Amino acid sequence: MPLQPPSLQQSCQMKRSVPFELFRYAAILLALAITLVPILWMVSMAFKPIGEWSATGAELTWWPKEPTLNNFRFIFGESTSNLIVALDRTALKPILSSLLSAVFGTAIAMGAGTAAAYGLSRFGSGQNLPLALIQLRLFPPMAVMIPVMIMWAFLGLIDTWWGLALIYGIVTLPFAFWLMKTFFDDMPREIEEAALVEGCSRWRVFTRITLPMMRAPLASAALFVFILNWSDYLIALLLTTREWVTIPVYMASLSSSMTGQLYGAKAALGLIAAVPPVIMGIAIQRHLVRGLTFGALKQ
Amino acid sequence: MSAIHLQNLVKRFGPFTALRTMDLHIADGEFMALLGPSGCGKSTTMNMIAGMEEPSEGQILFGDRDMAGVPMGRRGVGFVFQNYAIFTHMTVRGNLSYGLRMRGAPKSEIDRRVGAVAELLQLTPLLHRKANRLSVNILQRVAIGRSAIMEPAIFLLDEPLSNVDAAFRAVMRTELKHLQREFKQTMVYVTHDQLEAMTMADRIAVMDHGVLQQVGAPLDVYNNPANLFVARFIGAPGMNLLPGRPAESDGGLVIDLGPLGISPPLPEGIAAVLRGSNGEVFYGFRPEQVTRSVDGRGLAMPVSFVERIGARTIVHLGEGERSVKAVFENDAGAVVGETLVLVPDAASVRVFDAGSGRAVMAEG
Ligand SMILES: Nc1ncnc2c1ncn2[C@@H]1O[C@H](COP(=O)(O)OP(=O)(O)OP(=O)(O)O)[C@@H](O)[C@H]1O
Ligand SMILES: [Mg+2]
Repeated sequence: MPLQPPSLQQSCQMKRSVPFELFRYAAILLALAITLVPILWMVSMAFKPIGEWSATGAELTWWPKEPTLNNFRFIFGESTSNLIVALDRTALKPILSSLLSAVFGTAIAMGAGTAAAYGLSRFGSGQNLPLALIQLRLFPPMAVMIPVMIMWAFLGLIDTWWGLALIYGIVTLPFAFWLMKTFFDDMPREIEEAALVEGCSRWRVFTRITLPMMRAPLASAALFVFILNWSDYLIALLLTTREWVTIPVYMASLSSSMTGQLYGAKAALGLIAAVPPVIMGIAIQRHLVRGLTFGALKQ
Repeated sequence: MSAIHLQNLVKRFGPFTALRTMDLHIADGEFMALLGPSGCGKSTTMNMIAGMEEPSEGQILFGDRDMAGVPMGRRGVGFVFQNYAIFTHMTVRGNLSYGLRMRGAPKSEIDRRVGAVAELLQLTPLLHRKANRLSVNILQRVAIGRSAIMEPAIFLLDEPLSNVDAAFRAVMRTELKHLQREFKQTMVYVTHDQLEAMTMADRIAVMDHGVLQQVGAPLDVYNNPANLFVARFIGAPGMNLLPGRPAESDGGLVIDLGPLGISPPLPEGIAAVLRGSNGEVFYGFRPEQVTRSVDGRGLAMPVSFVERIGARTIVHLGEGERSVKAVFENDAGAVVGETLVLVPDAASVRVFDAGSGRAVMAEG
């Protein structure tokens, strides 16, 4: 067998000492614990019966002793314990509100952001846009929320999912714009010019060549924006009152006079709230990696 | 009808002039190479022919049709870019058939033409492959195929082979030439590799700093460079140029090369033009066209460096302004420090006016 030259990676890697390796794994474990334990705790809580999570309950255990789906039944309107009465509003509408406002908010941000980014990246139009959009993020949200509340009230958008979607779209537009602009800047112009030379119209180039080639970056940007919208609490708290409160706002209201905070119900709702981003993340996982390495084709 | 005429073409980017009054006429079916160093305006010229850029001044005509205001999709040109502009979300077949689908060609015709082009470029086994999984060499072949399939009357290639590896480049040189013979397109080929230009083109246009320096058949440009730039640029290594002044001697008109003594007598044609003038000139001769003197008469210079490249040996002699290179077949047996006496072949000697840089041409 011929001698193989050592691969670049091998020869670049230093030999590490045993204590160093131990330290490295300990650090990784610690980081994992910090992120995973609260999530595990939430999962565990979600399946505990009231006796195991209420403040008055006896001991706290890692795993539910008698796993139950009662917490889920409860937030969807079924009274399952004589300790707490059924809720007057179930979690159904807040979930719907969160979904609608986050999805449409993301659509607005991605639509406007992609169009603006393309215009600037390809035609140099809107030179002031990048800075103007950064300004939108410079001051604390609270500083603008009172004026926004007044405007929204005037427009009749308070306590509507479409009012929320609109403000979500505006607030996350800078992220969508900046992410997409970087991606468009990285995409070789020649690809579009090649299609143009072959007689394709500008619009068709954009829809048939550019956007399909940008699937991966589009997907990762959209997921990022969606998660921002999905996890908003402050804006929804100020702009919704009753009809269209979102999951985080509704969750905060989950308490009863008798038992105080309804931890089990909150955990159950939290688990449900974690589902959409996780599903989306898995669905576009392939694109997420590609999104990061986009442009590797060009030299 | 698909001749290309560039008339007084000027291109400015803001205050920067990328192209100065370019006049170039490319005949129908001709293979023209645009050759020049990086940044000399080759791509700018091509982009204007394709319609990607508007000229600042001047005209572009295809045949007798003025192209001003004709959008790039309507010019009927094929364009291959340096960076294999491939639609990575499509298969090889999708890429090749793109232009035809764009124009709504019937399916049977698309299949037939994709098959033919794929066969020509040896892409048949790869037709179903996604384009983002292929090597650079293949991607560039796909890009060439995607343009060639439209059978454009004018085919523009902007350094199509500069990103592919050397062995494949040699293959593609022959294939491209073959492709052009087959379809008889007018081909404009940008390169800064003179070997490519020399081997493929019918004529070469040499450019520098946005100025067209010389247009001519490859051998003509090599043998009779119009000015100092072309003399230095064409050939590997370029022409030897030694500063000096014309002087009379008993053998005829020679160039007084200062410390190097005098050159062998000039050919009569050049001598007739130069006689009587005393301006500074450059005495030029090709490194390949020298012999070692047998009688000790010629340019005596010390060897400073010996480069052996396979079958050839390049001997560097002298230093600074008064240095030359000589190319010998096989091993020249030269040793550093030794003094060689060189005699340029009389027929290869060229003289350039130092002031204008232009070649001194024999009259008639
Ligand atoms: N859009 C532009 N704006 C400003 N300057 C430009 C633009 N395009 C080209 N230039 C300049 O014009 C000059 C000629 O560029 P061009 O791309 O034609 O060179 P080239 O001969 O193709 O070089 P290369 O061999 O590197 O491709 C360069 O100096 C370049 O910087
Ligand atoms: Mg170029």
